[in-house]
Amino acid sequence: MGPGRIARPPARPPWTLLLYVLLVLVCLPFVLPILWMFLSSLKSAQGIFGSPFSLNVDAGLKNFTQVFAGYPFARQYLNSLLTLIISVPVTMLLSATAGYAFARMRFPGRDVAFVMTLAAMMVPAELVAIPQFIAFKNLHLTNTLVPIILLQIFSATGALSVFLMRQHFITLPRELEEAGRIDGLGTLGVFRHIMLPLSRPVLATVAIFAVLNSWNDYFNPLIYLNDEAKMTLPLALQRFTDPLGGTYWNLTLAASVLVALPVLLAFLMAQRTFIESLAASGTKG
Amino acid sequence: MASSVLARREAREGFLFALPYLLGMLIFVLLPLVAVLWMSLTGWSLLDAPTFKGFANYAKLARDLEFRGSLGVTAVFTVGLVALNLTVALLLASLLNVKLRGIAAFRSMVFSPVVMPIVAWSLIWKFLLQPQGPLNTGLQHLGFQDANLLLNPKTALGTLIVIEVLKAVGLNTVIFLSALQGVPPEQREAARLDGASPWQVYRHVTLPMISPTLFLVFLVTVIGALKVFTPIWVLTGGGPAGATTTLIVEMFKQGFTFFEFGYASAIAAVLFLAVLLLTLLQWRLRKALVFYED
Repeated sequence: MGPGRIARPPARPPWTLLLYVLLVLVCLPFVLPILWMFLSSLKSAQGIFGSPFSLNVDAGLKNFTQVFAGYPFARQYLNSLLTLIISVPVTMLLSATAGYAFARMRFPGRDVAFVMTLAAMMVPAELVAIPQFIAFKNLHLTNTLVPIILLQIFSATGALSVFLMRQHFITLPRELEEAGRIDGLGTLGVFRHIMLPLSRPVLATVAIFAVLNSWNDYFNPLIYLNDEAKMTLPLALQRFTDPLGGTYWNLTLAASVLVALPVLLAFLMAQRTFIESLAASGTKG
Repeated sequence: MASSVLARREAREGFLFALPYLLGMLIFVLLPLVAVLWMSLTGWSLLDAPTFKGFANYAKLARDLEFRGSLGVTAVFTVGLVALNLTVALLLASLLNVKLRGIAAFRSMVFSPVVMPIVAWSLIWKFLLQPQGPLNTGLQHLGFQDANLLLNPKTALGTLIVIEVLKAVGLNTVIFLSALQGVPPEQREAARLDGASPWQVYRHVTLPMISPTLFLVFLVTVIGALKVFTPIWVLTGGGPAGATTTLIVEMFKQGFTFFEFGYASAIAAVLFLAVLLLTLLQWRLRKALVFYED
């Protein structure tokens, strides 16, 4: 019973091992498809078909070089990156300013506007695709990234971001703003130098949603983009076909790895923050 | 006097702060919503000018067997998806809620498909489920001689539901998990001391405590199920024989394959009505649950 003695760890119940076995079994359907994608991306077409589960990676990195050599995949990657680089910061900025206005400032029509934001969160974007398409077509903006970027910013995810920012700003104490005003800051200054720095975790959540929304967007690119070279990645993944329309699975899976890898890596590196912020946004509602 | 000047300034600044977002929402969401309702009353194809036709599109919908079929498919898909998703999410969350070394890794594994691009996820399954693919041949070895999960009208929809649940259930699981962790252990302890069995504790203490979260997640999942498009389009394109043609797939076909904008808008309007009714229902039911909320 010396002072440095560490408390005995609680006795391991005998079912611990059983629990581990159960957990592994339960997790298999979630991770096996992803692991299989990685494995198959290193195999030749024959290898994938002939023995889909063998560990013989006979193609090495050949599929990956082929994806870039034979297709405008680099260009499509840039398209997706460009879309992301524009839509994510703009979503963060607009949702922060709107969320702040909804939370802290009184202006005519505010409550109506907020209810509409809630509605925009609920209404599936797909429902309004037809009038949007006709409008963009009349503006000659189809087959460009303009509608893709705009519709990502003003999507249900964008509305959710405004909602999350508002919920966050409501919780910040008013005294902070008053202190800033006494120091001579205007509204913009208070927002920029006091409110935004205090909002990093929420902004991170908003950014996560916006990145996933942008990187994985399929519906709008399917409608708007026809030229191979203008396409973003989710569409590009379906383009590895032979002249008869059959799929080159080895290339498709290598390209899928290249599209999934950045988000999977980002997730693995920041999974704690990632999961916690997503969980919080679901329970705070 | 001074305060009214301040109030006016606040009103002006508040409006300006919200304006960029509000303008975008007005232009890209609300106006198109009004437009789609109006378009549903017109005959509007790619090349024609719109002509006002009243409720003709809706009358046509009522007779259209494909549309009626898509209503049924949507109902089965939504009910199946929501039931499976919530059940699995709750079971997973309860399982992953144990204190165990390395449990965080298991949580991440269940969550990882959520960040996978949906097209990549769908393509993986498309390979695994192709006619001579590993899953169907595996099933054939097990004695299901004609196993062809995606090309059989009887199994295609169920298969899509499972693929979509595997993709998305991690999100609901994580949300339930955090709700479960918000349940104070003293409450469960107290019930246990009163002689409640583990199931009774779960049923009468844990579940009621997380019911607001359950309810919110339920509604979001229902509305999400109504708009699932990508995996269906990538995996079956609505086939075989319309077995997986949901309302949103039917709308997409009419609008962007046949360019029957007016008719497709009527389908969108029906879907909008469904979402609206569900949302209103939620407001009603939520009041009944207010008791649990803090």
